Amino acid sequence: MAKDLMFQDEVKEVVRGAYAAISTGGGRTVAGRIYTDDELAELPGGAVDWALGVGNPVLFALLQPGEVVLDIGSGAGIDTILAARRVGPEGLAIGLDIVPAMSERARAHAAEAGVDEWTEFQLGDMERIPLPDVSVDVVISNGVLNLAARKSRALAEILRVLRPGGRISLADLTVEEELPPEIANDESAWAG
Amino acid sequence: MAGALAERVFAEKLGRAGFVDVWVGAHRPTSIDEASQYPLFTDEVIQLMRETIPPERHDHVATSVIVKARRPDLDG
Repeated sequence: MAKDLMFQDEVKEVVRGAYAAISTGGGRTVAGRIYTDDELAELPGGAVDWALGVGNPVLFALLQPGEVVLDIGSGAGIDTILAARRVGPEGLAIGLDIVPAMSERARAHAAEAGVDEWTEFQLGDMERIPLPDVSVDVVISNGVLNLAARKSRALAEILRVLRPGGRISLADLTVEEELPPEIANDESAWAG
Repeated sequence: MAGALAERVFAEKLGRAGFVDVWVGAHRPTSIDEASQYPLFTDEVIQLMRETIPPERHDHVATSVIVKARRPDLDG
């Protein structure tokens, strides 16, 4: 029986299941459209292979050395690694993802990139971020907020963990015309 | 993609959540062909998109954007 995607918890499970099921990302075709050649050169090949983003939030985040940055929906770590390079060892880059296998890949990629000492990956949900209040300078994400069934709750959580004056740089998709109902209620279209 | 908001709604939600200085930029159209490069979309849904979305929108079914904003300072 098809799931009724009006139920918010089912949306979350559909998204988690879809991301857990894939065996690769968009690869260089996707990454090459998003990241500069210099950025791609900073990244392990495996992280590039797992590119699933829609934009370049790190480029616009204007990260400074020493900052604490949270990457929501960090996947296999591509943006977290780029962020870690910007904040440096005096800062901290935290990746958050709901799929354990993605976090394991991200840890391996961060180690390969040599940024693992100031990078950590946590398992968790953007609607319940497992970090203290006012503990983060910058929040980034890449193609993730559109996956949230409860977007207002996710935004409230982001605001909670940000320090006063803290900033966000979110790459995401917007739509100006409604998708046909056959697509709007398709599990694959929710996860993609 | 099915959960994507209109840009105006996205910006309004940020404002209601308490963010200030909301900026939306770096707009880039996303086509069905580009969507097909992501393994999260099944072949079936890509075909469904081609069949149900008017052809004139196939090159721009969604827009990739960067959204920036900040939490207010303590003094507002």
